[in-house]
Amino acid sequence: MRKKFFILVLIALICTALLPAAFRREDIKVHKLDNGLKILLYEDHNIPQVALYTFFRVGSRNERPGITGVSHFIEHMMFNGTKKFGPGEFDRKMEFSGGANNAFTGDDMTGYTDWFPPAALEAMIVMEVDRMQGLIFEPKVLESERGVVASERRMSVENNNDSILSENVRATAIMAHPYHWDVIGWMSDILSWKRDDIMAYYRTFYSPNNAILIVVGDFESAKALDLIKKYYSGIPAGPPPPAVTTVEPPQMGPKQVFIRKEAQTPSFNMVYHAPNCQSPDFYPLSILDMVLLNGESSRLYKRLVRDEQLALNVYGGVGETIDPMLFEIYVKPRPGVDLNRLEAVIEEELGKVKKEGITEKEYRKAQNMIRSGFYFGLQSNAGKAGRLGSTEVLYGSFEKLFTQMDNYAAVKREQVQEAAKKYLTENNKTVGKLIPEGGVQ
Amino acid sequence: MKRLIATTLLAVILLITPFLGQCAFKLPAPEKIVLKNGITLFYLKNVDYPLISLRMLVRGAGSAFEPGELEGIAGLTAELMQKGTAKMDAEAIAEAVDFMGARFDISAGSESASVVAESLSEHFPRLMEIAADCLLNPSFTEDEFAKERSKRIDNIKAIKDNPGSAVRPYFTKAYFSTHPMGHLASGTESSLKKMTAAAVKDFYKKYYRAERAIAAVVGNIEKAKLLEIFEATLGKWNNPRPAAPLSTLPAFPKPKGKKLILIDKPDATQAYWILGAPGYPLGDKITPQADVMNTLFGGRFTSWLSTELRIKRGLTYGAGSNFQTWSIGGLFVANSYTKNDKIGEMLDIALDLLKKARTEGFSMEELESSRNYLLGQFPQRLETNAGKAGTYTTLAFYNLGFDYYDKYLAKVKAVAAAEAKDAAVKLLPETDFVLVVVGRAADIKKQLEKYGTWTVKKITDPDF
Repeated sequence: MRKKFFILVLIALICTALLPAAFRREDIKVHKLDNGLKILLYEDHNIPQVALYTFFRVGSRNERPGITGVSHFIEHMMFNGTKKFGPGEFDRKMEFSGGANNAFTGDDMTGYTDWFPPAALEAMIVMEVDRMQGLIFEPKVLESERGVVASERRMSVENNNDSILSENVRATAIMAHPYHWDVIGWMSDILSWKRDDIMAYYRTFYSPNNAILIVVGDFESAKALDLIKKYYSGIPAGPPPPAVTTVEPPQMGPKQVFIRKEAQTPSFNMVYHAPNCQSPDFYPLSILDMVLLNGESSRLYKRLVRDEQLALNVYGGVGETIDPMLFEIYVKPRPGVDLNRLEAVIEEELGKVKKEGITEKEYRKAQNMIRSGFYFGLQSNAGKAGRLGSTEVLYGSFEKLFTQMDNYAAVKREQVQEAAKKYLTENNKTVGKLIPEGGVQ
Repeated sequence: MKRLIATTLLAVILLITPFLGQCAFKLPAPEKIVLKNGITLFYLKNVDYPLISLRMLVRGAGSAFEPGELEGIAGLTAELMQKGTAKMDAEAIAEAVDFMGARFDISAGSESASVVAESLSEHFPRLMEIAADCLLNPSFTEDEFAKERSKRIDNIKAIKDNPGSAVRPYFTKAYFSTHPMGHLASGTESSLKKMTAAAVKDFYKKYYRAERAIAAVVGNIEKAKLLEIFEATLGKWNNPRPAAPLSTLPAFPKPKGKKLILIDKPDATQAYWILGAPGYPLGDKITPQADVMNTLFGGRFTSWLSTELRIKRGLTYGAGSNFQTWSIGGLFVANSYTKNDKIGEMLDIALDLLKKARTEGFSMEELESSRNYLLGQFPQRLETNAGKAGTYTTLAFYNLGFDYYDKYLAKVKAVAAAEAKDAAVKLLPETDFVLVVVGRAADIKKQLEKYGTWTVKKITDPDF
């Protein structure tokens, strides 16, 4: 007990000492406009570039049957025309001023990520403000973009057996909550979204009070804030978007999914319902995911890939989500492997954790992995902006980013075993198997 | 995701116009140290984060120097070096590296092997001990050899289950045939079956030599401390007996006429293609003109390929082109994918665009945009410790000098429309190219007939 206490204190001290001198809570300037837009500014003059990130609190979690995938589609349409800037002009103007950008949609959020030379800051703000509420969804452009997203789904799901299986497993494990479907949405919905529905969805979620603006990099805070106030203050606040009220009912017995498909190699998934990232159980489960699934020294990698040679790879874990999602175990089995045997071996390993917990060494390893991953991710402007934005959306405030490592350090080793016992149960489990048919014989 | 950005694309990106002039950004000059055993070490201190990154290249330990029948042995050797030494077995190595939350990897490129080691500063001395042990004393046991080889054979089947990942190795083999630059680091089913643990040991002994290593360390560490660590670790790497000189690679292949290959994958709902032709060697003086040209042709989101195939017609999620460069030559590569019934339409457009670039060239406005884009995005590649360390080792490896990018950026800034058109005429293919398509032959074969005679293979046939 004493020894453990000492180690915890030590870790806490190391964490504090390790926070980059240049990136502290008190260096982040925070503002909120009257229309509800939250602004986070952090100056870093390491390279002559600015990262301007806009996060909206909307993702596939906010969708309903018939319009699945529409959050992601709006992300695509954000580059396809407003009254002021025609289709494609956002990208053309941005690239002309030396900028590049990307965007992403997740279950819980949509993010727009711009990287550009400091001189382009005002021009970028002007275009970001414009597309927050100004999209026109020109029908011809909309139809063309529908084809792009259909191609994206063909690439990422239909021509990827592992994704076909994981989409099926997720939809089987999660019955009621909108996490039931993948961010990309069902193909039949992609092919039939109505323009009116898309526009109504955009109007509901794209308002300043549902957004966070983050600027990191080579700029002066006072000037940037003046520009932001000048351009963003004119946008009216919208009504608060409707809350997601569906709660996934408890699973009351194991579920299974089988897929038979032309392939040379099988696919395998095993998932358990897990808590959301604001739950105190999230931290012990994250430590468990390191011990079971991360690195070649992890328990499942060692057993499945090295010792028994049943698999080419294993990965997975618990994700940071607003509502409860899944603890996922993905395995790429070797050709011809008996998938029942594979399942039995995983069960055996999970059984050991539930019975005996994890070792002190595993516990410290997981803490080290989490810490070093955290700091490596904060090296770039993009990394800092991304973490600030996602922490604000997922944890309710960006400030939690600066206590994140303390939360991990505060987990007691026994709590990892307790979390395993609580969540990795037979009744909470869904298993998926893709069994090759045809292929090479 | 709005789009996938090829990292190769960022690797070509560069800087500055009059109105961006204040952003001039230089690669900081590192300190050069040559160790007694011949390792060249570049060092730059950065105290902003409690982190240290090492990058190292070992000339000759790449797949271009391996015997043709043992294609992939450079890749297998690099992997097995991390799977056991005289002191530590594979599990002990994995355990020690993971325990620190560090990153450590040895992998084979074409002309060199590459070592990555990075960690929190406090763990760096121990990480270097492990890295040096793997580099100096690998044990290459029969057991680890058998495990890794069989895993690699099975992994090829997994690659072939995904047409998007399969199209690349098929293209490489179609373009290079038996030329050493086309050796796949993954190996093939046939070549992996011919390998032995003894052959791996031989490859290691012949090609891993301190005097051929170029290392760079960037991070939160004092020079004296770093030298002390190197002294105790990689400094002990000997060069037993004089090295046999590296073999001269045969001339870079330049295919004549069209080589058309169709890989039949009956369950594919989309057809994936890569078109390739000769490019230019790394560091060639045409690089700035070629980059300005390719940025417009297929190197960024608003490029011609992406505009015509994705933005205007919605045929695909991704379309692009890039140059890949090595010491003896390089490749121009364009690629995309679309649903089965559109592949003919898509390839017609892509071939028309190649013709248009060669015959019409680019507007003044396009030129300005391309230059600004390359200049504006350049600083990002030098942002992190790893970005700087990787740039030092690459520039030193190809003997380009640390002012290479200053000169390059100055030239990018001045590339004229006529020069970009010249680069298109010189580098974009018209009649001589290799085109590989992976898709469902029953649906796409008819659409492809107009381009010439296709060699058809089944995706389930062994090798690529």
